Amino acid sequence: MLTRSQFAAASRALVAKHESNPPFSTLLRDWEWIDAFPYGYLARSKRYIRNSLSQSSADSSQLGDDPGLQEEEDSATAHTTSEAEWVISQQFVVFSATFQVPALYFTAHKANGTTLSLDEIMNTKLFKFEIPIGSDANGFALTLPDVPFPLLSQGDHPTLGTPCWYLHPCETSNAVDELFREVMEADWDEETRLVRWLETWFMTVGGVLDL
Amino acid sequence: MPTLQFAPFSSVVSPAFWHKLTDLKIDVLKLSDEAVPITGTYTAGKSIFDRETGQEVLLGTGFSVGGESFDASSTTSHDESTLPGASGHSGNAVTATGSFKNFNTIEEFKALDKTKYFDEEAQKIWDSIIATKSTTELNRFFVITFADLKKYKYYYWFSFPAFVSKPAWEIGEGSESWKSVVDVLSRDELASINAQLRAEPTLPAFFLVKRARGGSQGAPAIGKVEDYETFFTDVPTSEVRSSSLPRSIRSLASLTKRLRRSSSLTLARPQRIVSFIDPSPDPQNPGWPLRNLLAYLRALYPESTTSVSVLRWRDTEVTTPTPNTVWKSQIGTVYLKEVEGAAAGKRPSAVGWERNPNGKLGARLADLAPMMDPTRLAAQAVDLNLKLMRWRILPQLDLEKVSGTKCLLLGAGTLGCYVARALMGWGVRTITLLDSSRVSFSNPVRQPLFEFEDCVDGGKPKAECAAERLRKIFPGVNATGHTLSIPMPGHPVPAGSVEQVRKDVEKLEALIDEHDVIFQLMDSRESRWVPTVLGAAKGKIVINAALGFDTFLVMRHGVRARDQKEGHERLGCYYCNDIVAPGDSLTDRTLDQMCTVTRPGLAPIASATAVELLTSLLQHPDGVHAPPPPPNPELGPSSQAETGGSVLGAVPHQIRGFLAQFRNLQLIGRGWDRCTGCSEGVLEAYEKDGFDMLLKVFNDQKYLEEIAGLDKMKEEGEAAMEAVDWDEGSGDEFD
Repeated sequence: MLTRSQFAAASRALVAKHESNPPFSTLLRDWEWIDAFPYGYLARSKRYIRNSLSQSSADSSQLGDDPGLQEEEDSATAHTTSEAEWVISQQFVVFSATFQVPALYFTAHKANGTTLSLDEIMNTKLFKFEIPIGSDANGFALTLPDVPFPLLSQGDHPTLGTPCWYLHPCETSNAVDELFREVMEADWDEETRLVRWLETWFMTVGGVLDL
Repeated sequence: MPTLQFAPFSSVVSPAFWHKLTDLKIDVLKLSDEAVPITGTYTAGKSIFDRETGQEVLLGTGFSVGGESFDASSTTSHDESTLPGASGHSGNAVTATGSFKNFNTIEEFKALDKTKYFDEEAQKIWDSIIATKSTTELNRFFVITFADLKKYKYYYWFSFPAFVSKPAWEIGEGSESWKSVVDVLSRDELASINAQLRAEPTLPAFFLVKRARGGSQGAPAIGKVEDYETFFTDVPTSEVRSSSLPRSIRSLASLTKRLRRSSSLTLARPQRIVSFIDPSPDPQNPGWPLRNLLAYLRALYPESTTSVSVLRWRDTEVTTPTPNTVWKSQIGTVYLKEVEGAAAGKRPSAVGWERNPNGKLGARLADLAPMMDPTRLAAQAVDLNLKLMRWRILPQLDLEKVSGTKCLLLGAGTLGCYVARALMGWGVRTITLLDSSRVSFSNPVRQPLFEFEDCVDGGKPKAECAAERLRKIFPGVNATGHTLSIPMPGHPVPAGSVEQVRKDVEKLEALIDEHDVIFQLMDSRESRWVPTVLGAAKGKIVINAALGFDTFLVMRHGVRARDQKEGHERLGCYYCNDIVAPGDSLTDRTLDQMCTVTRPGLAPIASATAVELLTSLLQHPDGVHAPPPPPNPELGPSSQAETGGSVLGAVPHQIRGFLAQFRNLQLIGRGWDRCTGCSEGVLEAYEKDGFDMLLKVFNDQKYLEEIAGLDKMKEEGEAAMEAVDWDEGSGDEFD
């Protein structure tokens, strides 16, 4: 459990700590603290690859090739693999006032500016595990079996107000606290404790999503 | 030497770009197809680590546009697309200026002379090189779009014009091909270059690097490409072209060549270095911006640039270098063979249209309908709201079962309007209403789907009007209305109307076939007979609601005897307790008998109860066979499921409400094998003779009593009476 100001302090300290290069792990390097009104949050952008190329080439509403346009043969243009498989994900760590714990919010869109549906998100490398059978994935939430709350659902970013997916934070506090108790040392000062707690949080979330 | 191949840009559009474009078109551009200046960004090429394969995966040469692309000043506003890693804050991304042109129709988009347009844009770049010697336009790009705002589809085509070098550039081989910077420059030099770049207010796309006199001892200097002449005056060129040198120097050239072959010397020597932020992470192929940079150098300084040392800078994210920093940048030498006396100022040809995902020349499409179409958004929001019930309270709730149930509402009056609303609240998507009358002036206050305007000029037909209103409330509903008169027993059909009535019955049969649930919400007793028979014969769920002044009845019909499951008592229908056939109750009524006068609060209560009875039934695993709760059940929520109810609770057979006491009573009515509505006698007669049987019933009440077996019952009753041995005791008291 954290208060909002503890969250802000922890986030800032974490960003400062990881901005300098190795020996710290590079995983937390690109998070940036955005001091926005009314609530600050951590943010970064990441690219992922999709697991399988969906059959987007059969899009019948494509304009198709333009027969009239000729471009000269150019041996100096390298042929690249299709980047249609890219997924660009904006990720945010916001403070959940309801659960008094950080929550991971994210958006995912393709290179052409369309957002991904839940099925498509599940198909990216964003998720670390295979979605178990029996989960209910409809258009806007993913619920694992035997769990009353959805793992992933849609909501508005608390500051930006834009629609995002988020990992439900209800169980996070317990999970992180448990792990944290193992790692914690008595002689840490407040700031170190907060930063380490947040790092543990990242580790917990990182078990589910590929951060 | 191999031909140098450049990695072309791949456009990366963020959804905010489309939103901004839409706003711009609606508010500013409207129908104008003038070119509008925009900006785009790119960052140093990156690779990501694929934890599954354990490999580094190259991320490709991305060129990003986002919401801020349309901003007049391209300073970093806080926008999601300026997050680190994407376009990044200005310290990590190069901004390119370009133009954007939107066409108003797909035909104009297709008809644009693209070759000419491309040519004009390329010319702009060339002109800026020649006239101003500036590098600011070297990354100039353009995008043409057609935004179909009704369907939320955006067709777009990016173009990154780059001049073709003839002959083509070649990359050195072996020790002169692309190699890691740490093989050439010292870490201190790299740290210095990095620091100087970071000190710049914005990240320069192109820059020059000049090593210090002492080689790797001193700090290198970086400078603007525009200052090429002055920047490099004190630095010798590194090129050695044996064929172009006079003989005397050629021996020196061969000596140098031998020296060059020894890698340590060669690697330590390039002094004049041309550099650019390289968006391509591919070790072999440098990014697209290098093309125009080389074209710039060829155009302005042809003598000194037949070979160029190029630094592909990709370490924009290094903040404080340490001895362990992994430098990603590369350095190499590119060559031009057999340069003809290229006429200065003659513009080379250019290429740069982005290929579509098929690898061909064609536009791309972004279909944002799922995200932006308000009808879809409404549907999603409605469903989400229902899901909350499931997530927070009742995980076992099967919402799809309810929303997929097709409901036919017979009657679009007070009950019909409230039932329709409640069904929509549950997410039911198919609602069909049937009514024979028009909206009258007294209706709107009690029938929430109607408004004053619907009453004028004789009044709109109720069924169609109600359906239309449902669609206005929620466009995703599949609502239809039919104006139809349901024929009734005890109301003989005049000969001339038989055909019409036959058609009406056919239509009613078809409608009942197509739906799962029939709501009987009419205002008379006998009008419920035909749907009862049809519903029972076809095995549909029938929910009945009827109003008194301050009492109501809500009930569900049982199944026909043939379909009854073993071990359960058959539940009755609306008529199971009648011993006479329904007759004409409508003619010769007074006004207060004709209009169902009820306490206004009764209809919403009864309608809501009817809908909730349905949903509880639908959640029950036995569905229409669900048993009612036993009389006098234990009160308490947990016992409902245990006493054979559904997750929502009990599934009573009949609920009678008494508004005066604010009390509901649950009753169980057994099915009767002589019922005029649902006994096998009646149903089989209908199944055998169809409309003819119905017509007979309309015309002759006695017929119905016959086939139901009611006439026999009368006889049996009389016979039983006869058989009783009345004790006729003597008694003078009865004279």
